[in-house]
Amino acid sequence: MNEPSKIILPGGNNAVTQQIKQSEEVQKLKGTLLKDIQRSAYVYRVDCGGCNGCEIEIFAAITPLFDAERFGIKVVASPRHADILLFTGAVTRAMRMPAIRSYEAAPDPKICVSYGACGCSGGIFHDLYCVWGGSDKIVPIDVYIPGCPPTPAATIYGFAMALGLLGQKLKAGNHVQGESERATMRHPGVPAELRVLIEREARRMAGYRRGGDIADDFLGVLGTKSTESLEARIQEYLGKGDDPRLTEIVTNLCEISTRAIAAN
Amino acid sequence: MFKLFKTILKTGEATLKYPFAPMPISPGFRGKPEHTPEQCIACAACAIACPANALTMSNDTEAGTRTWQLFLGRCIFCGRCEEVCPTKAIVLSEEFELAVGNKSDLYHKATFKLANCTCCEKPFAPQKEIEYTVDLLKQTGMSAAAVEAKRNLLQTCPDCKRKQSLQVTDKVELTRFMKKGSEA
Repeated sequence: MNEPSKIILPGGNNAVTQQIKQSEEVQKLKGTLLKDIQRSAYVYRVDCGGCNGCEIEIFAAITPLFDAERFGIKVVASPRHADILLFTGAVTRAMRMPAIRSYEAAPDPKICVSYGACGCSGGIFHDLYCVWGGSDKIVPIDVYIPGCPPTPAATIYGFAMALGLLGQKLKAGNHVQGESERATMRHPGVPAELRVLIEREARRMAGYRRGGDIADDFLGVLGTKSTESLEARIQEYLGKGDDPRLTEIVTNLCEISTRAIAAN
Repeated sequence: MFKLFKTILKTGEATLKYPFAPMPISPGFRGKPEHTPEQCIACAACAIACPANALTMSNDTEAGTRTWQLFLGRCIFCGRCEEVCPTKAIVLSEEFELAVGNKSDLYHKATFKLANCTCCEKPFAPQKEIEYTVDLLKQTGMSAAAVEAKRNLLQTCPDCKRKQSLQVTDKVELTRFMKKGSEA
């Protein structure tokens, strides 16, 4: 998918984009920049047609709460001052040239960071006709920070990684199905019909995701075998959160399960 | 002046200690989707639900495998995959330190085996999904013997099922005969 499309598109070469090549000298210089930068790293933010969510998180990262400036990371107003270029947005066709201009304006050696889901790959806009889909299509990228948008903490982690202060945690995973691998049933003790009723009611009352979690917890309480009565166990479960909304939902679920058990 | 210093002292330090101390994470935080491949039945519900196409499934009918792939660079952390997963194989964790230097580290893959249709012997559904269906039928109260009797049907692809259920009745024969007659 990364290769330029083989389809002949209207517009000829304008419909194909190529990453700017970096000379070996510049790459060597980059190594020395990282080793003994010995001063603040200046960041210039290049908006390549994002939704501004990423910008808000970048500014959240330099507020006193997260304070990226205590590590000497400073957002500057001109690419001519920058050591780090932060590319946000899915790179729309209109923003490609301005982005390349700011890349060219920044002095070598420079570190390029792809910020956000759109910067990494085009994100949710990856298959639109009007985007190139990711800043690595136009410039060589050193660090990718995924997230939609990345939290300020993830931003600080990404900066630290770009400067070589912290190591990478994430590794590619590849699993191959083993012999006699089998998915386990979630709540084998609860009849399937009752489970459906409970899940439906919990999701009706609390929304899809939270409702699913509540139903899962409730079924867990329902399915466990213990000497205590069901009511006592549910009271114990409710006591943990002390939430009136949860209490109401669980009371409803209890009613449904007692009715279903009585019917059988 | 002293009043100001007093207020400052009372307020304390607002800045988080983050890179030096672990980040306090609030409940319900949606971080990296954590996939447990042992629990996954490769039903592709997540791939259908994923609004950003970060989760994809691809079949390789020659090798008889189905590959699940998560591209974190495209993930928007909406949690739809967690919602739809019937076996809770995919759960959003609290992991947020996802920055990588190499793009290929953003890809997570899992390969599952496809079961062959008992009739036409072509791969049609993941093995684990069929096993899960068997378990589900047992849970609904069906006896083990009844489930085993259904097993042959479960391991037949939709095309073959359709062919098998087409019974040659007198009526079908009659319409065929009439068609032939009208053509002639």
